[in-house]
Amino acid sequence: MTTTTTVTVKLSRSNRIYRSSEAVEGTIVIKSPNSISHQAIRLSVNGSVNLQVRGGSAGVIESFYGVIKPIHILKKTMEVRSSGRIPPGTTEIPFSVNLRDSGESIVEKFYETFHGTNINIQYLLTADIPRGYLHKPLSATMEFIIESGRVDLPERPLPPEMVIFYITQDTQKHPLLPEIKTGGFRVTGKLATQCSLQDPLSGELTVEASSVPITSIDIHLLRVESIIVGERIVTETSLIQSTQIADGDVCRNTTLPIYVILPRLLVCPSVFAGPFSVEFKVCITISFKSKLAKAQPKSDPTAPRLWMALERLPLELARTKRDQFSC
Amino acid sequence: MEFEFRRRDYEADHESHLLPRSRTLKHPLSSPIASRQHQVKTVRGSEIDFFDPLMGLDVNVSVEEEDTSLSIETVTQELTKEWKSLKRILMQRFPVSKVISFSPVSNVVTKGSKVETPSAQPHLEETGGERTCLDETAKVMDQQEYLAKVRELIDGITKAWQAEDRVTSLKLSIKVTKLLMDTTVLQFYPTVFVVVTDMLDMIGDMVWERIKEKAEHDVDGTVICTLPNDFQASDICLEARETCYNWFCKVGSVRELLPRIYLELAILPCWRFLINQPREVLDRLVMMVRGLADPLASLYCRLYMVHRMQKLGFCNSGYLIKCIKDIEDVLTPILADKEGCSYITDDKKLLFNLMEPAIEYVMKCLLLTGRQENNVLGMLEELGFGRNNSQSSENSSHVSILLHHLLKELPSELVSSQAMEILRMIKCSKDCSFSQVLNYRLLGSKLCEGRSQAGFLSSFVNEVMQAASQYQALYDYLRIMDAYVDLLLQNKMETHLNALLDDIVTLARDKFLSEEEQASLQSIILKLLSHFEDLQKVLSLNHFIEILDLMSGTSKKIVNMHLLSMGTRNGFCICESTTVQLLFEVSQGLYDATDFVNIKDDDNRQTSHLISRFVEMVDYGTERERHLLFLAECRDAFNGIHELKETLVRSSNTLAVKALKAGNKHINFVKSCLAFSEVTIPSVTIPTKQLNLYLETAEVALLGGLISHSDGLVMSAVECLENVTPTDGLKSVDADNMASAVCRLCSFLVMVPGNPEKGMLEILKSIFSATCSSSWAMPRLKMKILCAIISLLSTLSQDNLPYRSANPEIIGNDLLFFGDSSYKNELVSWTQLVVGELVEAIEQETSQIARGNIALEACNCISSALVMNEKVSQLCLRLLETAEGCLGAKDKYLEATKQSLQL
Repeated sequence: MTTTTTVTVKLSRSNRIYRSSEAVEGTIVIKSPNSISHQAIRLSVNGSVNLQVRGGSAGVIESFYGVIKPIHILKKTMEVRSSGRIPPGTTEIPFSVNLRDSGESIVEKFYETFHGTNINIQYLLTADIPRGYLHKPLSATMEFIIESGRVDLPERPLPPEMVIFYITQDTQKHPLLPEIKTGGFRVTGKLATQCSLQDPLSGELTVEASSVPITSIDIHLLRVESIIVGERIVTETSLIQSTQIADGDVCRNTTLPIYVILPRLLVCPSVFAGPFSVEFKVCITISFKSKLAKAQPKSDPTAPRLWMALERLPLELARTKRDQFSC
Repeated sequence: MEFEFRRRDYEADHESHLLPRSRTLKHPLSSPIASRQHQVKTVRGSEIDFFDPLMGLDVNVSVEEEDTSLSIETVTQELTKEWKSLKRILMQRFPVSKVISFSPVSNVVTKGSKVETPSAQPHLEETGGERTCLDETAKVMDQQEYLAKVRELIDGITKAWQAEDRVTSLKLSIKVTKLLMDTTVLQFYPTVFVVVTDMLDMIGDMVWERIKEKAEHDVDGTVICTLPNDFQASDICLEARETCYNWFCKVGSVRELLPRIYLELAILPCWRFLINQPREVLDRLVMMVRGLADPLASLYCRLYMVHRMQKLGFCNSGYLIKCIKDIEDVLTPILADKEGCSYITDDKKLLFNLMEPAIEYVMKCLLLTGRQENNVLGMLEELGFGRNNSQSSENSSHVSILLHHLLKELPSELVSSQAMEILRMIKCSKDCSFSQVLNYRLLGSKLCEGRSQAGFLSSFVNEVMQAASQYQALYDYLRIMDAYVDLLLQNKMETHLNALLDDIVTLARDKFLSEEEQASLQSIILKLLSHFEDLQKVLSLNHFIEILDLMSGTSKKIVNMHLLSMGTRNGFCICESTTVQLLFEVSQGLYDATDFVNIKDDDNRQTSHLISRFVEMVDYGTERERHLLFLAECRDAFNGIHELKETLVRSSNTLAVKALKAGNKHINFVKSCLAFSEVTIPSVTIPTKQLNLYLETAEVALLGGLISHSDGLVMSAVECLENVTPTDGLKSVDADNMASAVCRLCSFLVMVPGNPEKGMLEILKSIFSATCSSSWAMPRLKMKILCAIISLLSTLSQDNLPYRSANPEIIGNDLLFFGDSSYKNELVSWTQLVVGELVEAIEQETSQIARGNIALEACNCISSALVMNEKVSQLCLRLLETAEGCLGAKDKYLEATKQSLQL
């Protein structure tokens, strides 16, 4: 038996995912070797969009401020137990919090949980047990995840809005190695640019021709976070995940599948809120065989290089209704 | 008091000892057919379920035809077995120890031995962080060391899993899987593949078990449900599905294509928790592998895919066909260089070597699945079989290594029905990945297995022969046609067979055949030999003798052996003079090729046996002189074969007897035969055999009334007996045989008339002295011989001999010395001498029991030969005492002897 008193917040769902229309349920678990007195047990729910600007893309002045004032989505406090004593041993205090008040109809503000580089949308449950002046107050925090609970969510599958792309030496805006430029290449394919978060990013790609051998073809998932800072919009694009779909000089004219499972928490439905927006992009890179490539140190894989061909496509992510079998 | 011989009435004795006889109506060995039929009827009538495996042949056939398809379970079992053996093959065929070069090892292995603690690093780090590992400067490491490190990593995976640290488990397994991206040391790849896929299978099982556990029990461990084997995705609770999907997310976030595919394949069966129809998943995986450009890596990846599809239980031929087509797409550019011609280099050879087991497995899988789906033909069509000839041949050309393994797995009935099509495909596939000749061969042997329809065969074989002759090289031609010989023979395609033999002669004319060519030719000839029962038919084939003459060396020897055994195997006499001539030459060839003097092994024994058998079976019929000449020729030709000498003597003796039967006018021929035998016998080395042969020849001489010859031969036999020395290495068995031969000689002497000029018992004396002085005869054998002599003496003293020579001109001793008292006296005195020696011999026996037994035997012999007067009974008593001393008073033999002697 431990000698210290511990408090934890346990949620009813192990994946901690709730809709804004649902009540968040769970228990506050207090484990204590001896009986303790307290001045009421409080539970607070906090939802906020935290914005920060850092690094190169922001101006000098903004970087001084660093953190921009967060946007509050939700702030609620409730008393789950009035002051009294807690017996020794394990005590479980159940709770249930309605995120939305009954009269409220605006649900747009419940942005889905998202952890980005500059933008963080987070929902926290905090249990506080103040114990008077003589004792340290006890507290515990637990994050829960909000998925959109709108009733008008589109059904799965989303209409396949396929974008057909073709990548050749002529579509490249950056300089290429002369042998690639003159030898030429042609890679075509299609990609669903509107995609449900529950579904993988899908499409096809075919290498129709390439005189210089290909070493790799990669699909990069990018997020574009924009924040309005004063008069300006600060935009930062960052890499979420890279997925290789061709390793080496693949056969010509065979179709390769594009299949990327969207990583949870790192993506959310594309958001265009007033002070900020979160968008996504797909970048297809084709790397050609070159001595230069080996000499180059590890760096941003989506940066234009002499031995690489790129194609960026916008990607709209959307929350769809859960069907019976989806997870 | 003198010895006195018992009077014997042999005829009366014979009568009294005869068993009572009665007539029988039925032959005891004839089959009681009527009763058996009756039995069968009763069995059928009572409907006892009785299956005679030898009986219902037609029943079996119908069962087979009904059930050519396989159940999924059998296919799964079969393939599980195949997978195990494949792994063994990969490890054995490409053993690590044989790879001399060192493999550059990426940091994955060198770094990976220390298990990283799971950190709260952002997602990108977790999966993309390893990216540069392989690009960094490679370190050189010994392969055993490398494997040890890998095993260490795998240990780390299990340990982490047991410690509930699944993130670390996954991370380590990603690392290990990445090893398969490295194909720099080709020979090492299969070993790494086996090690890594074992690990992946293990991970796959662990994940499966974990999700199943989650689906069946909730957090507290209470049972939610028990999943049936054929559960549906809807049976799985959300929690378990969540976990399962999470695994796919984790695996899906691996940047590199190859490990991502392998890991998804490892947990492929888990898709069943999420969806009922994994069709899309499999379609996608099949396509994803196309992204791997390295031919070896992609092939092995497909191999693992096929294996895991099987595990998922959703492996249909569609995917396999796609895989095979993709393999073909990968192989085609390797085969042809820019100019489009195909040539083999060492690198390619190695590559194809490494690929072969994998291709074999995939094809096996395809055919099993096809059979299970009952759609082999449809499957073949999809693979490009049966495409109309209207399409250009280039389109339908297949990579020959694929074609070979496909053909190898095809059921032979199908091959028979599609033979033309397959032949056309083989013709089109001329690349360097597999020898076209071997493909032709495979087709041939497949056709021989199956029941082929005679309809198309003629034009089919024509085409094969045309294709084969295009090779120009005799070796290729022989190798191809070798596989078709059985087909020609089975279907009695004589014109084709003749054409084949013509071709061989044309191609081989004026050439010295290499060893390989000899071997192929040998195989063809042996097939011909084993097909025809009659040697005559083989010999009458076109150019057969000419082709035989092409052979030399070991092949020639083997063919000769077969020819000889074929000539002698069916037990008929060999009468045809050309056949005799051929086989004689064959034997001579064999004899010349074998060193009979110095080497004595099984091979030589077989050869000498075959030659002897051949000589034995030759029969010239009434041309007996020609036959004797032949025997003489053989004696000259095969001087070194000892076994043959015996055969020669026996044959010549048989000839003599045949001549005697044919009438008296041939007496001179009989004499020549005897002379031949007499001259031949001394070269027989084994004394027992020599003795027996002398004896046999003496019998023949006596039959021919040639007493002097007979005497001479008997004397030679006795001389032979005298000359036996223990240095001849006489074994106890030989000594026993020798003693029996001497006994036989004694029996023969009953018929031989004594020679009054030389002394009537001259021969007997010689035998006696040879026995007494012999060092080979042990007391037991001495006793046996001496008893035989006593019996002989007693028999000769009778007024009527028990038997006489079949030649009526020979007068027996009973008539020759009738009433001659000196003759009788001599017999008696000799008996005394022999009995004395006998008693002495018994004393010499060292073994107690043996001494007792031989004393009793001697006693019985004496009592039956001699009248029981005082002297004899004293002698017998003495012997009985000896026996009692040795065996004890209660011995049964002793008691019975006492009773019969009435002493």
